Amino acid sequence: MQRNPYLPLPMKLVKNFTETEDKLIHTFTFQFMSEEDEKSFPYMPGQFAEICVFGKGEAPFGIASSPTEPGFLKFSVAKVGVVSNALHLMEEGTMVGVRGPLGNYYPVEQMKGKDIVIIGGGFAFTTLRSLINYMLMPDHRGDYGKITVIYGARNPGLLLYKDERDEWSRRSDIDLICTIDRPADGWTGKVGFIPAVTKEVAPSANNSVAIICGPPVMIKFTQPELEACGFKPDQMIMSLENRMKCGIGMCGRCNVGNKYVCKDGPVFTRAELNQLPNEY
Amino acid sequence: MLRMQKLASAIQDAARMLLEEKKVDLVVGFSKGSLPLRSTPCFIRKPEDAAKLTWDCSCENNLANYLRKRQDRVAVVAKGCDARSIAALINENQIDRNNLFIIGVPCSGMVDRAKVEAALEGKDLIAVEEKGDTLVLKAIGVTMEVKLDDLLHDTCKVCRYGNPVIYDMMIGEPAPAKPEDSFADVAAFEALSPAERRAALAAEFSKCIRCYACRNACPMCYCTECFVDCSAPVWVNKSTGTDDNIMFQAGRVFHSAGRCADCGACDRACPMGINLRGMTRKMVKEVKELFGYETGVNPDEKPALAEFKADDPQPFLVKE
Amino acid sequence: MIIAKNALPGLLDKLIAEYEVYAPVKEGTYSLYKQICKGTEAYFGFLNSKIPPKGILFPQSEKLFSYSGAQMEECIDSKKKVVFGLRPCDAQSLLLLDSVFKNDKYEDPYYMNRRANTLLVGMACCYPAPTCFCTSMGGGPFDSKGLDVMLTDIGDEYLVEAVSEKGRELMAKMALSAAGDGQKAAAAKVRDAAVVTCEVKTDGLKNKLDANFYDSIWESFHEKCLGCGSCTYSCPTCHCFDIVDEARDCNGCRVRNWDSCMFPLFTLHGSGHNPRTTGKERMRQRVMHKFKYFVDNFNATACVGCGRCIKNCPVNLDIREILADIQGSEARSDK
Repeated sequence: MQRNPYLPLPMKLVKNFTETEDKLIHTFTFQFMSEEDEKSFPYMPGQFAEICVFGKGEAPFGIASSPTEPGFLKFSVAKVGVVSNALHLMEEGTMVGVRGPLGNYYPVEQMKGKDIVIIGGGFAFTTLRSLINYMLMPDHRGDYGKITVIYGARNPGLLLYKDERDEWSRRSDIDLICTIDRPADGWTGKVGFIPAVTKEVAPSANNSVAIICGPPVMIKFTQPELEACGFKPDQMIMSLENRMKCGIGMCGRCNVGNKYVCKDGPVFTRAELNQLPNEY
Repeated sequence: MLRMQKLASAIQDAARMLLEEKKVDLVVGFSKGSLPLRSTPCFIRKPEDAAKLTWDCSCENNLANYLRKRQDRVAVVAKGCDARSIAALINENQIDRNNLFIIGVPCSGMVDRAKVEAALEGKDLIAVEEKGDTLVLKAIGVTMEVKLDDLLHDTCKVCRYGNPVIYDMMIGEPAPAKPEDSFADVAAFEALSPAERRAALAAEFSKCIRCYACRNACPMCYCTECFVDCSAPVWVNKSTGTDDNIMFQAGRVFHSAGRCADCGACDRACPMGINLRGMTRKMVKEVKELFGYETGVNPDEKPALAEFKADDPQPFLVKE
Repeated sequence: MIIAKNALPGLLDKLIAEYEVYAPVKEGTYSLYKQICKGTEAYFGFLNSKIPPKGILFPQSEKLFSYSGAQMEECIDSKKKVVFGLRPCDAQSLLLLDSVFKNDKYEDPYYMNRRANTLLVGMACCYPAPTCFCTSMGGGPFDSKGLDVMLTDIGDEYLVEAVSEKGRELMAKMALSAAGDGQKAAAAKVRDAAVVTCEVKTDGLKNKLDANFYDSIWESFHEKCLGCGSCTYSCPTCHCFDIVDEARDCNGCRVRNWDSCMFPLFTLHGSGHNPRTTGKERMRQRVMHKFKYFVDNFNATACVGCGRCIKNCPVNLDIREILADIQGSEARSDK
């Protein structure tokens, strides 16, 4: 019998970093306790894990680190519930449990040879960070064509991963466009909602794949802009969120039609979602 | 039983009239259920569907449950306990009296399905025949005649308010008056020692499967977030442990102090046959003895716990 | 083989010496499957239990592991069990649960361990109830699939038949006498007399559900529903669960509890968004899960026709009527 899928792997919190100016999102870095543990956690960009705070419970979060960054896992977590509140208050050095990797991942194999358009809004950028770092890895960068990233938030202080964004901005092999909803002092990037910026950037659909993550309203209005650029349903990839518990397709709550977001997703193409009821 | 049929056709006439004259958008009543001796809540929106409405001794649900916070104009078929709950809900601003038409129906009691099950020793009821004051119950290999009175729910046996206290139209002849509730069942519970009480409660509530049918069947249980569902803090464990089950029920009972009309809807909804009224009636008795208040009996009266008087008795605070 | 009814308690006692034995036990006006300590506790006077025996393999509340900080100890139950007097519908439900708890990627060790260590002794239904519709759901009152041994009540005795190899081994331990021709004939007679009268039309149901997600038919089914978990908790195939921690400081345990798609909290996101906002969506999910999604995924309906949800519903919401209404509707797929 395989490993008990309900038992988390003990990991140590080595960094509890306040990611956004409003302090509502922290990025947590967890360290594997042994090489063996790390081997038992082979993951890909887009997958998630259940983080367990002993005494409080567990909750699912997308993995923000990339498998190309060995030794640790990173998660950016908004303060919303019991588990995330406990995490935000957690002292570095504390042991947590991590259960995973769970779910499917971005189709990095099928994406090879294509231009990649990444569109992210708000704190849904976490697994996109994983994907970008994966693709930018020297071993992988050659596999992909042009990489365009459109990333927006309400204000500059809410954009995640400042240091990395600065680094990506300096690189020539990735085109990063950041936008905020309203003008702000010192902001030199774009101002405007993501759908409008997408329209302006007008990425070519030719031999391209678009990956969109963000709040439902952003996705709703961005999709038509991509369609206007010629993107077909099977060229648009999204990551769904639903309430999850088991993460392994058994507890029954995260289904959309006959698919479980936790096991069959969270990554779906628009074409796949078109076959499912609109219940997410 | 002719009486029941007459009531049913009067209900149909009233519903038809209200819908035809567009006085209401909807009539909430009962229609024939899918099993013998069962009725089911039914929602009539067209005059021609009014014929689906029925009335008999199986109209056990408290229809006040379907009336909270509605935007449409509704008529409801209300027996005595439904009417008391409606009055209580009007008091709590959950029902707009101006948008509600109450078709009052006198009630002489509803059948307790558990008593039928007990009479048939678990065999499934296949058919029922009504014969005067008795019911002829038929199951595989069994036919038995049982007095209707012996099958009535305990709550109906002690209910003094079979005739709705609040209505816009009253149907049929009033049900006969009954003596004051002696609360003999509660007195028996009170006579037990604390250890015996604990054991009695544990015996009942160990059966609970936490399906929350009791809570959801109660017209007064309408919190947006019930305390059992709250995750921060966790007031009650989600697991089915006898202590937590009792805690859940105790919380529910305390929250319905002065609000419970002793309609027995919780008790009847419970699939496990738990004697929920054992607890709710203790509270009903306390409120009645302390404050002389009975829920929904006098619609103009302020609920016991919504009012403070300097001379309110408080034996639970200070030993007198 | 044959066993006299009055010898059954003795036989159960023998089994109890070796296994945890679960059998229907009388609890007031109904029966429940419980672990018995004495053969005489078993009671076969009711057609079926109030709550299905699925809880023996998938308890309503179950500790997954206990922990003290990051030190964890799993609570796998591998004790040998016998479920005695299981009805064919409930046996069928376990076959359905098998496909849930072992999917294409994962295996649930708690359920699977218990399942592997549990023998199922069935009891044929000589007198199906008016709410039984097993024959519409691929089963039948004498259907032995999923069982190890099957018993048939022939008056003062039970005819005992092995269904599986494990069942044959169990029977060898029981020291039974051989069945005579008369007894076999008696069993055949009760089998022929056991008729399920209720029929639910399932032909074409899936096609309707494939197309009617957005149909207005869903507007009314839930109207009288109280949104309680009575139907799902009394369903032998419902398997949804919640996982919670019950702990003080950093010491405690992770527990899973039955949960119900009829509860609003079931799908409520942390953000406050709920993909199934009202009773309409939740009722649709329950029906869709049983009669479409489960069929899509496992090629079987997640309903065995035991009728418990019908009997236990506080407002007499009858799944057979919902299915009949769907069958009678014009399926439209206008979104």
